[in-house]
Amino acid sequence: MISDLLQFHVLVPWLLAMLFGIFVGATPGLTATMAVALIVPVSFYMPDPNTGLAMIIGVSFTAIFAGDIPATYLRIPGTPASAAATLDGHQLAKQGRGGFALMIDLFCSSIGGLIGVGLLILIAPQLARFALRFSNFEYFWLAIFGLSMSAVVSSGNTLRGLISAGLGILLATVGLDIVSGAQRFTFGNAELMSGFGFIPVMIGLFGVSEVIRSVLSSPSTSESAIKTTASKDSIWEVLKTIWSKKLTVLKSSVAGTVIGALPGAGADIAAWAAYGMEQRTSKDKESFGKGAIAGVIAPTSANNAAVGGAWIPALVFGIPGDAVTAIVLGAFMMYEIKPGPLIFQQNPEQVHSIFLIALITQFLLLPCGYIGLKTFGWILRLPRNVVMVAVLVFSVVGAYSLRNSLFDVYLVAGFGLVGFYLESQKAPLAPLILGLILGPMVEENLRTGLIKTEGDLTPFFTRPICAVLVLILAAAFLAPVVLSWIRKRVQV
Amino acid sequence: MMIGKLNTNVLITLSIAAASLLVACQPKSASVVGSAADYPSKSGSIICPWAPGGGTDRLARFMADQLQKELGKPFVVVNQTGGSGAVGHSAGALAKPDGHTLTMATFELSTMHWMGISHLTWKDYEPVAELNADAAAIIVRSDSPWKSLKDLIGYIEANPGKLTMSGTATGGAWDLARAGFQLEAGLAVDAVRWIPSKGSAPSIVELLGGHVDAVCCSVPEAISQIEAGQLRALVVMAPERLSAYPNLPTAIDEGVNWSAVGWRGIVAPKGTPPDIVKKISDVCIKIVESEAYGEFMRKNGFNVELKSNEAFATFLEEQDAQWKTVIEATGYAR
Repeated sequence: MISDLLQFHVLVPWLLAMLFGIFVGATPGLTATMAVALIVPVSFYMPDPNTGLAMIIGVSFTAIFAGDIPATYLRIPGTPASAAATLDGHQLAKQGRGGFALMIDLFCSSIGGLIGVGLLILIAPQLARFALRFSNFEYFWLAIFGLSMSAVVSSGNTLRGLISAGLGILLATVGLDIVSGAQRFTFGNAELMSGFGFIPVMIGLFGVSEVIRSVLSSPSTSESAIKTTASKDSIWEVLKTIWSKKLTVLKSSVAGTVIGALPGAGADIAAWAAYGMEQRTSKDKESFGKGAIAGVIAPTSANNAAVGGAWIPALVFGIPGDAVTAIVLGAFMMYEIKPGPLIFQQNPEQVHSIFLIALITQFLLLPCGYIGLKTFGWILRLPRNVVMVAVLVFSVVGAYSLRNSLFDVYLVAGFGLVGFYLESQKAPLAPLILGLILGPMVEENLRTGLIKTEGDLTPFFTRPICAVLVLILAAAFLAPVVLSWIRKRVQV
Repeated sequence: MMIGKLNTNVLITLSIAAASLLVACQPKSASVVGSAADYPSKSGSIICPWAPGGGTDRLARFMADQLQKELGKPFVVVNQTGGSGAVGHSAGALAKPDGHTLTMATFELSTMHWMGISHLTWKDYEPVAELNADAAAIIVRSDSPWKSLKDLIGYIEANPGKLTMSGTATGGAWDLARAGFQLEAGLAVDAVRWIPSKGSAPSIVELLGGHVDAVCCSVPEAISQIEAGQLRALVVMAPERLSAYPNLPTAIDEGVNWSAVGWRGIVAPKGTPPDIVKKISDVCIKIVESEAYGEFMRKNGFNVELKSNEAFATFLEEQDAQWKTVIEATGYAR
C-alpha cells in the first residue's frame, strides 16, 4: 500500500500541491478553504485516484500551517486559524527570533497533525459518538468559554479588551439572522445581508493597519521588513525546546482534535482554546503575549490537529465538520467514495489509503513547510516599502477574489482604518476577532436552544456536558479569587 | 502628523499599486450584441451565487466545461456569493444581455422577492434551461415510532407544537417546503417547531444525536445514514417517485397534494436575443441528455430534471405562485 503511494507519479503532484497550499495559506486573504477549492478541479485530471486524494488532503493540512508564516513575521494571519499566532509568534519575530518561532511552529504543526490523524485512525467512531452529544446547549457554553478568552488575549488591558470584544460581537450581528430569518442592520443592502465577511475584516484589521503604521513610521526605507536572527538557532535547539514543552504539544493536540471533531467548531476555535488553556494553566502567565514559546506551540499544535479532527464526523457520518471538509466531501463523491457509517465495512481499503495519505502528509509537511518559511523569510528581507506594497496588493486581491466582490475590498480598507485607530488607542485586536467568531455562536445557540426547550433555561445547566463546562468556567474565574483569599488568611 | 515625516517612498509605491488595482478591477467595456450565428464571439462566464465547492458550484463548473466543448469558446465560473444568493443573482440580472454572462440560478430566485431579501424575480431574466431538481423529504431516526407519513401526521395532530424539525435556517428552502406540506396536509404552520440550523448537514447530526425529531432535506443529503439503517425517509415531496428510490412514497401517494423541489437552472439577463437563448437552451439540452451528464449527476446524488427555455419559464411562473402562498401563511413575507 505504501509502495503505491511513494511513487514518482504520485509524489510529484502531491508535493507540488502542498507547496501550492503553502503559498495560498501564507498569502493574507487566501484561506485554506480556497486552497482546497482551487486544487480539487486540478486533482480530477490525475490519472490515478490516489494521486488526486493525496493532493487534496496534502493541501488541507499545509495551508493551515502556512497561515502562521505571515502571522509570525508580519502580524497578518494568513488564515483565520492563524490569528492566535499574531500574539507570541509575532513578539518573537520582533525580537529577531521569527525564524526560530516558525521552525517550532512547523514541527508542532506536523506533530499536532500526526496526533490528530492518529486519534482519527484509533478512535474515530468513539469520538464521533461523543460529538453527537453536543447540541446547541453545549455549543453555547463552548462559545462562552471561548469569549472569556478575550480577557486572556487582552495583554493586561482588560477594559479595552472587553470593549474590543464587544465591538466584535456587535459587528457580528449585522446580516440575515438565521434564527428568525430577519435582516439586521442591512439597510436594504444585499452585500450586508451575509454580514461582515470574517476574512476581509481580518485582513483589514491586521494587514492594512500594519501598512498604515509603516507609512507613518520612521522614513528609513532601506531597512528590511523583518529583523533577521542574530544567532543561528540549530535544529537541535528547536527540537530541545519542543521536547521541554512536550506536554503542551500533547494537551493542545488532543484538545484540538476533539474541538475539530465537533461539527459546530473548527481549527480557529481550536487554536484559541488551546492558547487559553495553556495560559490559564501556565505557571508563568505574565510571559504570554510577550513571546512565550508555549504561546506559539499551543495554538499551532491545536489547529493542525483540528484538521485531522474535522475528518472524524466527515468519515464516520459523511457530514462535514467545517468548510474545508465540506469541499473535500464534495470531491470524494467525484471519486465515488461515499463517506458515512458504511465506508469502514464496505470500502476499508479506501479508508486505509486515506489514513495513510494523511499520515505521510504530516512528514511531507516538514520539507514543504521549510521551503515555505525560508522563501518567505527571504522575501521579507526585502526593503520594507516593497514588502508593504506587496502586502497591500495581496490583501486587496485576496479580499476581492474571495467572492468576486468589490464591497469586500472597501471593507478591507475601512477595517484597516478601524484597526489602526483601535491600536493607536491601545485597544487589543485579538478580542475583536474572538467576538466576531464567537458572538454569533453564543447568540444562535442560545436562541435555538431556547426554541427547543420552549423557553426553559434549565437544560443549559443540567445536561451532563453543560454541567461540566459550567464548572470549568466557574473554576477558571473563581480560582484566582479564592486562592488569593486563602493566601491572605494564611499570612494573617 | 507632518507630511515630511511620512515615509514618502512607501506612499508613492502604494499609490501606484492602488491605481493599477483600480484599473484592474474595472468592468470590461462592452462590445456589440451579436446574433446567434456568431455566438459565442468571445469567452463566456457563468455566475454562481454560491460558494466554491458546494453543489451549485460543482454543477456550474461541469456545465462551464461542457459549454466550452460544445460552443468552442472557454466558459469560466465566477462565484459571487452573499446575501442568501441575492448578490450573485443580481449580478447575473445586470450583466450585458448578449448571452456571454449566464447565471446558475437556484430555488431562492422563486422565494427571496416575497421575503424582501431582493426585488429580483425570474422575470428579470430569460430562462434558458432547468438542469436539476431535488425534492424535499422528511427523514426520521430508524428507532423513532414513526414508520410512515400517516404515523407522523397522526402524532403532529395529537401533539401540536411538540415535534421538532430542522434542515435549514428559518425561511430557508426546506423550512418553506415543510411549511407548505403542513398547510396542504391541513396542519397549522406552527404545529411543528422549526429548529433553525446552518444547513442540512448539521441538522442531520442533530437528528442522529437525538436533539431534533425529524429533518426536512433532500434524500441524497442523508443517503449514507439511510443506507446504513440509522435514518428512515418517510416521504418525498416530488411530483412522482424518484427513479433512484422507487420504494419511497411521494406526498401525493400519501394523499397530500404537495411537491417542493430545490431547483437549479441556467438563466440569461433580460433582453438577451431570443435566438441566442434558443441556441444555448438547445446546447444545454444536448449536454443534459449526454451520458457524461448522467454520470456526473449520479455521482453527486443530484436528480436530473430537464426543461427547455419555454417549459422552464412556465415552471418558474408556477413556483412563484406556490411559494407566495406559503411565505404569506408562514409570516415570512415582507
